Amino acid sequence: MSARTLRIVAVVAVAVGGIGLLLYMALWVAVPAADESSSIGGRVVRDRRELQIVFAFSTAVLAVLLVLQAVGLNGLGIPAWSLLVAAVGALVVWRGASPAESSRLRDALNAAPVIGSTPGTGWRNVVLRAALGTILIIFGISELSRVGNFTGAAFGVLVGAAAFVGGFLVVFAPWWARTLRDLSTERRERVRAEERADMASHVHDSVLQTLLLIQKSAGDPSEVTRLARIQERELRHWLFNPAMLGRHADQPETFAEAMAGIEREVEDTYGVGVELILVGDCPMDAELTALVGACREASINAAKWSGRPDLSVFAEVEPEVISVFVRDLGQGFDPGQVPADRQGIAASMVERMARHGGRVAVSSAPGTGTEVELILPRSPVDR
Amino acid sequence: MTVDGRLRVFVVDDHALIRSGIRAELGDAVIVVGEADEVEAAVELILDRRPDVVLLDVHMPGGGGRAVLEAVAAVAPDVAFLALSVSDAAEDVIDVIRAGARGYVTKNISGPDLLDAIRRIADGDAVFSPRLAGFVLDAFADATGERAPTPSVDPELDQLTPRERQVLRLIARGYAYKEIARELGISTKTVESHVSAVLRKLQLANRYQLTHWATERRIL
Repeated sequence: MSARTLRIVAVVAVAVGGIGLLLYMALWVAVPAADESSSIGGRVVRDRRELQIVFAFSTAVLAVLLVLQAVGLNGLGIPAWSLLVAAVGALVVWRGASPAESSRLRDALNAAPVIGSTPGTGWRNVVLRAALGTILIIFGISELSRVGNFTGAAFGVLVGAAAFVGGFLVVFAPWWARTLRDLSTERRERVRAEERADMASHVHDSVLQTLLLIQKSAGDPSEVTRLARIQERELRHWLFNPAMLGRHADQPETFAEAMAGIEREVEDTYGVGVELILVGDCPMDAELTALVGACREASINAAKWSGRPDLSVFAEVEPEVISVFVRDLGQGFDPGQVPADRQGIAASMVERMARHGGRVAVSSAPGTGTEVELILPRSPVDR
Repeated sequence: MTVDGRLRVFVVDDHALIRSGIRAELGDAVIVVGEADEVEAAVELILDRRPDVVLLDVHMPGGGGRAVLEAVAAVAPDVAFLALSVSDAAEDVIDVIRAGARGYVTKNISGPDLLDAIRRIADGDAVFSPRLAGFVLDAFADATGERAPTPSVDPELDQLTPRERQVLRLIARGYAYKEIARELGISTKTVESHVSAVLRKLQLANRYQLTHWATERRIL
């Protein structure tokens, strides 16, 4: 008998008091899959923890069932019993399924309409969800009021049901609580294991590779410094600022991101260390783009001409003004006698800032280093 | 201090590589009277040898640099601490300063700069790296309500004076104390006293605001 025929037979048998559902469940649990040596049921029975979860769930299901029967919904009869027993079976399948099968189940569940998590957005889903919920609620209310029609009986039924549930709680509640706790511990452990795996793969992909490159280029100090610096920055971001990883450097959303982009670019291209100190932050706009551009030019100038392996950039965002200082302790120059090609760069920086209401000041003298000061007043709208 | 005027320094770091690196950087300019790689041994040895300055790693198993600071300060408040870290995380830095360290520098500091910092700490001054100055400006900008208006409990402690702000900005721009003095037309001693005043505010200011700022910053 093929799997398809079996499924058709089961569906037909469901109509007969739900026996088919039970049978199908039992077979699913007890018979090993074609390519596996043990059945789902066998796996669950061998694991004490899984067994505990299944039993806890069974008692909860039993409680629900008995309450339903006590309040007089026993008209549901055998279908209700087989449905609820099948629910226990479904749990066994869920817990005991092989990794491949459980990922297939999860995909199917996530893609399912209404309860699935994948198609969870969009107005169609919302409407579908609301319609189904409303139908269930109306059914529940009508059913309950049918029971309550026997005046006076409803109260007794409710008290009885409450006492019944109370009894169940006294007997089983601690156990249920422990099982739930175990489940959440299990989830936490899984999350932690995933984080560890992430860390391990990052260390492998990036740190180990860089170390290998460093060993290979041991004879070239500037290359070693460059590699070490790139790796240091990456690791720092990864440890202290994971949110910014993976964002596009060419499309910074905030001033801080744009400045970090300059730091990265200058360090990688010119092999100098940039100490970037930022105070405050704000979203990017056209004026800030001009400021960042000017800062980039100033940093590249310092990296190219100062003759020092480092430079510092300090940027402060205040309510009325944004100021940026690019400073190096290099050879410096006499601002009165600047070669024509560098004057051009300075002029473009000054012009650029002036167009947006900002200003540039350069202070330098031979032997004392250079500092470029960029000041941009903020328009009231930005504050 | 020893007879020949050299300072007695103690190194606490859980990485042997870093400890020997620091020793090499310092050379003969100071006397390294001991080193430790974990909290308990560090506390015991520091109390036994009474160095002038302790170079303290912020990140260590068993409570970190903070645990060493607190244990030593309770018995020997005259031992000065300089925090040494690779971490850029604001909460680490603020935490160790508030626990009593008189300064914070990053581990990539050059040998001469480190020596200079040690001397300053031994003299009872404070040492701020550019990054720490940036942190303080950021933290106190929040505290004065420029960005997040929180009521100030003690304005004396929760705010920086304009002069202190100027000094911190220059430190953040990479200026040495001497250069700051020249820029502002004051003496180096005055610059030092401004920095010490900021350190005091940092250690005593409203705990909640600073912690709040540090955690916010981490999320950013």
